Amino acid sequence: MPLTRRDFVARSAFYGSTFWLLWNVPRPLAFRAAQESGQRLVLTEDEWKLVEAITGRIIPTDHEPGAIEANCVNFIDKVLAYEDAYLKPTYYGGLPGVEAVSEERFGRPFVELGAEEQDAVLAVLESGDVPSWPSAQVAPEEFFEAVRVHTIIGFLADPSYGGNREYAGWKVVGYPGPRHALGGYSPEQMIGEQNIRTIWGEEV
Amino acid sequence: MIQELTGAGFRVVALQRGPYLRAPDFVSDDELRTASLFSPEQIETWRPDANSPTQTGRFNFVAHCVGGTMAEWAGLSWRFRSDEFRVLSAEGPVPGANLADWPIDYEELEPYYERAEWEYGVAGDAAANPYGAPRRRGYPNPSVPDRTASLRLARGATRLGYRPFPAPMAINSRPYRGRPACTYGGACSGYGCPVGARGTPLSVSLPRAHTTGLLDLRPNSLAFQIELGRDGRARSVRYLDQERREEREVFARQIVVAGNAIGTPHLLLLSRSASFPDGLANSSGLVGRNLMFHVLVQVSFTIDEPALGFTGLENHRAIDDLHASDPRRGFIRGGVVTEVNFPHKQPLGYALLSHTDYGGGRRNWGGAFKEYLRKFPQVVAAAAVLEDLPMDENRIDLDPDVADAYGLPVPRITHRQHPNDLAMSAWYRARLLEIADAGGAVETWVPLEVTEEKPTKGGSHIHGTCRMGTDPSRSVVDRWCRSHDVPNLWIVDASVFPTSSGYNPTLTILANAFRVADHFVAEAKKGAL
Repeated sequence: MPLTRRDFVARSAFYGSTFWLLWNVPRPLAFRAAQESGQRLVLTEDEWKLVEAITGRIIPTDHEPGAIEANCVNFIDKVLAYEDAYLKPTYYGGLPGVEAVSEERFGRPFVELGAEEQDAVLAVLESGDVPSWPSAQVAPEEFFEAVRVHTIIGFLADPSYGGNREYAGWKVVGYPGPRHALGGYSPEQMIGEQNIRTIWGEEV
Repeated sequence: MIQELTGAGFRVVALQRGPYLRAPDFVSDDELRTASLFSPEQIETWRPDANSPTQTGRFNFVAHCVGGTMAEWAGLSWRFRSDEFRVLSAEGPVPGANLADWPIDYEELEPYYERAEWEYGVAGDAAANPYGAPRRRGYPNPSVPDRTASLRLARGATRLGYRPFPAPMAINSRPYRGRPACTYGGACSGYGCPVGARGTPLSVSLPRAHTTGLLDLRPNSLAFQIELGRDGRARSVRYLDQERREEREVFARQIVVAGNAIGTPHLLLLSRSASFPDGLANSSGLVGRNLMFHVLVQVSFTIDEPALGFTGLENHRAIDDLHASDPRRGFIRGGVVTEVNFPHKQPLGYALLSHTDYGGGRRNWGGAFKEYLRKFPQVVAAAAVLEDLPMDENRIDLDPDVADAYGLPVPRITHRQHPNDLAMSAWYRARLLEIADAGGAVETWVPLEVTEEKPTKGGSHIHGTCRMGTDPSRSVVDRWCRSHDVPNLWIVDASVFPTSSGYNPTLTILANAFRVADHFVAEAKKGAL
């Protein structure tokens, strides 16, 4: 049975945190959808750009790829289409709020702001203290936490779910991928005396 | 019990809540399936004491599947030391705690420990542990190889004068009895084993029981009531076929409950009757009481080279120098320390769970967070598993307000800390920080400790709740784990533990099961059941 948003809010409280709930959810339908196509399923073109820009501040690009290169927005689009559909109202309530805060603070849409300005907007959402917040249904910090956790999962979950493009997330954190199905590790690899072959075929 | 009873020629019907997952279900290390694979329906409530409101959630790491929580266990296989069976005698009474001696001692269990180690293929080095309980025979397999993290922890411990040694693990370090050697894939505890190298009911006992043709294993069968016959003996178990959503009933001459220290009292308390209005086998009023977890303390730290925590097992090295009880430390009892790769065995666990402890208010997004993510391969952790004292008011009962997906009242956990726990937690925290420093820690944080603000709500080590003893007014089962009240009802799990020890409990659960099975079979042959 799919969760409703009400279930989600209640169960987040049960679990103590949003991430604990979001982390431990299997998403076979999103997985399949991501395999089939990279086309937008839920987000409009503008929403996609806005969500992508937010993810880009959750895990920014530096000398290595960040959430934008990892295509975390695609992960979010796919899970919102299926297992995390109960979070669509959170996004639909939150995204106009991002624009409202951006306009109020800096007089421009979020995607046109500089990185520091974008961070300032997100920090306001995170604080939950947003007098101009337009949504009565979704609190700003609740929206921010959903996007934050979605971005991190998109960055670090298996690329099959639509994010972690070209293993960008795993390359950043130095994880060679799940090697259980590929024979695991040798005792020499476990103490750094032999290179480890990543699942994408690189020796590290 | 299933292996031993079918092996002795008894027909066994085994009811298990949840599915029969097997190796192919475990091939993936996909972090998005971790917990939901094993207990998607688990709901519990917790409160610190009877006057506080409850929280609803999942506080214990348990597996609702064939094989139980051993399907995803770490494999740490300890023999308790002799004083852990006689805590009351060793310490004397402690105000606010319900200390007890076990009705059995180490010598009685020793041959069964050996049996369990050889059945499940424990890998270890008996000579390397200077504090191990006396044993007649070594481990069947050599110890598992190290990873850099375990070597660095061992280096720190050695610098402080401790004597680290390879942790005994029920995971094959070489092919053993038809099961392959471990591939050291990293995602171990919390995951099912894809090759059967880990000793579990799925890889060891159930395959053997199946070959007898005497096992009728019924997965997706949620037991909710043990029925009592007019003769005062347990007569049948009523259960829900979770797939067909039908109620069914199975009749048996002997009934063995092994639902862990939450599931077992939960079932007994659900099984009310005119003779037992407070729950089956509960004339003592002790079913559900003396619930113990472990006091867990963990220190994580980064080092200046890849620690490779994503390889290997959950634990590789152990330190037992800090275990022995010493009241001069300001508390009684203690426990073992091991190197662990939780929760940094996989990146999401590290990014989400570990950061909440690392953070200390640090921002969990942005450039600084990305720097944190990059330290993933550098993490080493040391965890102490410490004895939780039994207390009357720490208990499992039926929640009057919260029901599960089947309409059954969920188990309500009431658990607060004894002052001893808090002093113990603080002391071990300081020792683990010293070990981290001596091991070359660059950055250090404390994911687990027990304080007034951070009480234990659950764990993966759950004990007590149907304590074993000689006095029927002060225990639930006798020394053979047979109910004092209902002669054909047996409890064979950590519910029967009178005290919680400073070690992971599974090998003792197994050894005790072998001991009880021997007695069961002998009594049955005499016609005494």
